[in-house]
Amino acid sequence: MHAAAELSTETRALDATKNRRASSVEDWFAHVFLACALVVVLGTIAVFAYLLRSGVQGVANTGIVELITGTVWKPEAGAFGGLALVTGTLATALGATALGAAPAILGAVVVNELASKKAYAAYRRTMEVAASVPSVVFGWLALRFLVPASDTFAHRIYGQDAAVSGEGLAVAAVLLSLMIGPTVSLLTLDALARVPRSLREASAALGASPLQTALRMTLPTAWRGVVAAVFFGFARAAGETMAVQMVIGGARKVASNLFQPTTTISTQIVMDMQNTLPGTTTNQVLYSMALVLLVISTGVVLTMRLLGRRAT
Amino acid sequence: MSLDSVPSLRRSRRGGREALLAKVLGALALLFALPYVAMLAYLVVRGGAKVFAFTSIATPLSGVSGETTMRLAVALLLFGGLAWPVATLARRFLRERVPERAIAGVAFTTALILAFTLRDHLPRFLISLPSETRAGGGIAPEIFNTLYAAAISTVVTLPIGVGAAVYIARFAGSRPLARALRTSLDTLASLPSIVYGLFGFAVFVVQMRAGYSLFAGALVLALLNLPIVVGVTEESLAAVPQELEDASLALGASRAQTIFRVTLPYAWPGIVSAAVLSVGRVFAESAPLIMTAGTSISRGNAYSLDPFRGGETLAVHLWYVNSSGLSPDKAEVSAGTAAVLVLLVFLMNSVASKFVSRARAEHA
Repeated sequence: MHAAAELSTETRALDATKNRRASSVEDWFAHVFLACALVVVLGTIAVFAYLLRSGVQGVANTGIVELITGTVWKPEAGAFGGLALVTGTLATALGATALGAAPAILGAVVVNELASKKAYAAYRRTMEVAASVPSVVFGWLALRFLVPASDTFAHRIYGQDAAVSGEGLAVAAVLLSLMIGPTVSLLTLDALARVPRSLREASAALGASPLQTALRMTLPTAWRGVVAAVFFGFARAAGETMAVQMVIGGARKVASNLFQPTTTISTQIVMDMQNTLPGTTTNQVLYSMALVLLVISTGVVLTMRLLGRRAT
Repeated sequence: MSLDSVPSLRRSRRGGREALLAKVLGALALLFALPYVAMLAYLVVRGGAKVFAFTSIATPLSGVSGETTMRLAVALLLFGGLAWPVATLARRFLRERVPERAIAGVAFTTALILAFTLRDHLPRFLISLPSETRAGGGIAPEIFNTLYAAAISTVVTLPIGVGAAVYIARFAGSRPLARALRTSLDTLASLPSIVYGLFGFAVFVVQMRAGYSLFAGALVLALLNLPIVVGVTEESLAAVPQELEDASLALGASRAQTIFRVTLPYAWPGIVSAAVLSVGRVFAESAPLIMTAGTSISRGNAYSLDPFRGGETLAVHLWYVNSSGLSPDKAEVSAGTAAVLVLLVFLMNSVASKFVSRARAEHA
């Protein structure tokens, strides 16, 4: 599919060159599109240039080891230990993926393989709408419903007087799992739809029931797409900012259990950025933390691309 | 491709355990989808109650310049938004007797008249200023800022995005710049939104010393939207039949004429849906805007058209009210804001999907 599209693009470009007229209007006009393309490339380079310029200085000032493993984050006192931030991001994103991926995939498989056409359409529409709900809305709902519930739950487990609260890793992971669910489910539906019908017919002709076909043929055939969907969900969970900020609690320390306020990279960037002056180490270190976040989320996206490329 | 044409492949002919298992799995899938339905219903019903409480007494103007225009805009948006489903329903029941155009015409004329007459009788929440400490604050400047930022951002991102898509699809082939462009778009699409916020903060607030401004926020979101706009436009350009372009060139049209008179007009539903998706994204995004456009509303220029002032959008307002708002009716304000925000995003998404399906129907 992709290869075919690329081929036709190339032939069109060739045709265009053949038909080319050497008038100045034509040149001007081709340059406009070229300029648009250049703006996109330059914009991307600019984003990275700004990020790297401050970020690398921040790493040079504090040291990468301290940034990732140091336990004290107190920018006002010059302490930049980012362990709480990094573990917060990893724990919430991994927790969200672990909780949210399986139901989302299951839903997609059932609806795509076993349910009626109407149920498929209703499910797809629901997931599309849910995926477009702004993240602050998710955050507000979690603040209203999940946090009190988690507070009660935590006190029931750890005792009434324990130093636990509703805000923390657990509630953030559950919230993120709900947020990535629709996205993962939609991408899984797309991956399942790419499995050729001939395979399904062959499976049915061999006497497999729809359920057997779904679980033993379709899902294994589409696995690359499904894994890519899960990775995409992880990246989205790791990069999420405002919704997590509303429920994580904002304490700048490593949580000793799932029900203590802590922080994540993106939360801390958005909170500390308002209070820093440009050019200070604090400011630069926030850019360094953004680089760390980029390594976590973009690393996953790159892996996904590699898998996706081989799938086609 | 789904199995729509062969429904029998989906239904099990075996009884017993197999059928039971399939039913259990179906129930689990339903269990997964139901919370989202419940969430959406809650948002619309709970917040809608706050928003759509009509007042018969006119809300007095607060003396901020631009307020009258703003009220009219909100009224048009509200009644126009209501006219759409009403017209769709009416079309379904009256199609036999009344022509479609007449129904749409009547619905939207009624909306226009209602908007003009009821603009001071709208729900207070939609047409008054927010309040930091007292109950009863509204979200009018936030609605204005949201629409304004979306407009600026889309005006910037659409020409560049469409231009870049045309470049990839019709000019570049596999040249190095095309490859760089693809890599750039892939990278932009995978960046966490907080990174855009940092970039905007560094360029506009720090480097240019411009402070927080809607313009900075809109430009950052324009960059964030580029991958979507290019992707959707490219898809619609790929669906343009090559015979049409060949015919145009054979008739002696130049490449410029072919692209502007044949290719782009043919691909317009895709381009419109790209624009609408970009608008929806601006409505929903919060982190980059907090760092570039700020979280404040100042009384004096709440409805000012000057883009170089700071101002919060609806999504930012929802966050701000919950994280540092002091008003006693926080929960109510949040519910109302969330409802307006979600309804706006729904509206954008349904418009976009309408255009996409229209494009598919035309091309099929």
